[in-house]
Amino acid sequence: MSGYFARRLLLLIPTFLGITFLVFTITRFVPGGPIDQLIVQMQSAGGEAGASGAGESSVAIPAAVLDELNRQYGFDKPFYLSYLSWLGDVLTGDLGESFKYNEPVLGVITSRFPISIYFGLIGFTLAYLVCIPLGVAKAIQHGTPFDFISSAIVFIGYSVPGWALGAVLLVLFGGGSFLDLVPLGGFRSENWSDLSLVGKITDQLHHTILPVISYAVGSFATLTVLMKNSLMENLGADYVRTAFAKGLSERRVILVHTLRNSLIPISTGLGHALGLIMAGSYLIEFVFNIDGVGYLGYTAIIDRDYAVVMGILVINTLLILIGNILSDVLYVLVDPRIRFN
Amino acid sequence: MAESMVEDKPLSILQKRWRKFRTLKRGWYSFLFLTGALLLSFLNPLMINNRALIVRYDGVYHFPVLSGHIEAKELGQHVIGEARYRELKSQYREEGAGNWVLMPPYPYHPNENLLLEEDLPGPPPHSPTSNHWMGTDDRGRDVFARLIYGFRISMLFGLGVLIGAYSVGIIAGAILGYFGGWVDILGQRFVEIWSGLPFLYTVIIISSLIRPEPWVLVLILCSFTWMRISFYVRGEFYREKAKDYVAAAVSQGESNPSIMFRHILPNGLTPIISFAPFGLVGYISSLVSLDFLGFGVQPPTASWGELVKQGLANINEWHLVLFPLGAMFCTLMMVVFIGEAVREAFDPKTFSRLR
Repeated sequence: MSGYFARRLLLLIPTFLGITFLVFTITRFVPGGPIDQLIVQMQSAGGEAGASGAGESSVAIPAAVLDELNRQYGFDKPFYLSYLSWLGDVLTGDLGESFKYNEPVLGVITSRFPISIYFGLIGFTLAYLVCIPLGVAKAIQHGTPFDFISSAIVFIGYSVPGWALGAVLLVLFGGGSFLDLVPLGGFRSENWSDLSLVGKITDQLHHTILPVISYAVGSFATLTVLMKNSLMENLGADYVRTAFAKGLSERRVILVHTLRNSLIPISTGLGHALGLIMAGSYLIEFVFNIDGVGYLGYTAIIDRDYAVVMGILVINTLLILIGNILSDVLYVLVDPRIRFN
Repeated sequence: MAESMVEDKPLSILQKRWRKFRTLKRGWYSFLFLTGALLLSFLNPLMINNRALIVRYDGVYHFPVLSGHIEAKELGQHVIGEARYRELKSQYREEGAGNWVLMPPYPYHPNENLLLEEDLPGPPPHSPTSNHWMGTDDRGRDVFARLIYGFRISMLFGLGVLIGAYSVGIIAGAILGYFGGWVDILGQRFVEIWSGLPFLYTVIIISSLIRPEPWVLVLILCSFTWMRISFYVRGEFYREKAKDYVAAAVSQGESNPSIMFRHILPNGLTPIISFAPFGLVGYISSLVSLDFLGFGVQPPTASWGELVKQGLANINEWHLVLFPLGAMFCTLMMVVFIGEAVREAFDPKTFSRLR
């Protein structure tokens, strides 16, 4: 078994190299990169200054300046060599410097971690807190109106993308045309530090509630249905018959005997909780104007801030790949019947 | 009576599933409604358009919807360029010379600028009125017309991605699962690397290089969604290829493609068919998300996401957010209901329960 996981870990390496190499190569061949942007800036500045004399605005950039820029961004070497030097830097923990923020990439990204973890963790916990009891209740009352109606609600939630629900909630409660209950977005109010403790808490809650609903709504359906089906499957098992036969109450059979076994498929999802560090859908953060990792990645792509794009890619890829393996490890730990080979 | 019962051919598994599907009302009616709406949407130009269906002028019939551009002068209207049929209609009525215009039921075009309309004072976007059921957007275009045209684009886009992603995913998954070994190990690495590519990044890069036509967007989304299907198919092939009927087919000397697609695939299709409607939900909302960010279909094509984007930019214009998203919710919800019913029809598992 440990051999299996060792092999999985080793297979991480080619995948990681493949993804980063592919994206790195794309960044090198796409127009609109940092040098193109600087040239445009210089030309427009130069064009204004020399408009009276030159007439045409195409101001030549001195070759020496271009060489300097190319060298600074590593564009003077063939792309595979600059990939290798980038990779070397990454292995020593240096993700480079952001073109937009003029700061080390690692700092730019980690400064967004608290926001992502905050929303990610609350959404994640909320989903589990709601879905497990709901799934259990639905399994016990299978076929009743309660089961039918809650299924409908949960599936409506599934069909709604989180950001779209967020947009609707914002229009309804954000003080546009209807109710004015919550602010239009952001992580905290601007005067947050001046508020009293109670004020801080309510302010934070005001800013939290809609994004968290948007984050959690998508996972409700899958989790609830998974919980329900898993419990229903166990309710037909032989050991349940035995438990009933020896005279246990239904409550005890379900909550103590069956629930434990039916939690197995749910628990494996916990491995992906690792991804919470980088959680943050750019769409939801875009809608609510939250400056988290998702939004950072989005703006980095738009601005062609390649160091940040690559930095997020590296961290994200590692978290997802390791999260996958962790899920399988959890699976084995929780359920000794599982064997991977 | 008894005779006919004996002679009835037993139902095939697909017929049984179809019958089961039809008994699940929520999904069945959603299916009927969406199919009907999609077929009807091909008649959009006849129902929602600013060109008249029929114009009778001086005893001659014109069919502007079919024939396209007609100069205003030819129809006796004193404006330059194409005839304005709504104005023409009232003009003919006032003249009383026996000329008439038959407009489509909803006489506004989704890309038509309505800023000169008399019933829409002030700057756009306008709130809903009795003529413009859902108001206008920030360029003074009719929201209802854009919404209905947007439905067709969204559905066709989703179905296009579904077909494309399934074709690639099934073939790739079949090859990996059937041949196994090194093919599988290398192929899986490729799939893993491919899945690691950031989707949004690629879309933005591509739209900075070329003008993404809708079919290009379909291709892009296909290339990012086939992996999940190949994953399912690969698993099914691994399971199925160990069974006796495959060994029988091999010993009869059938070719690999024949074994893969005629023998194994029909047996391994169930899980991915029941996944299809849920896939469709994802594809449609991806398009809306891309349009929302401004990287979807090119303007001035009608799209739901673009309306939402305008709505969030002017938070007071609730009709720009609630109507398109309402349309999307209803569409996706019906697709999910279909999916639920399909899954139930394909999955005969009934839970037994003690007590």
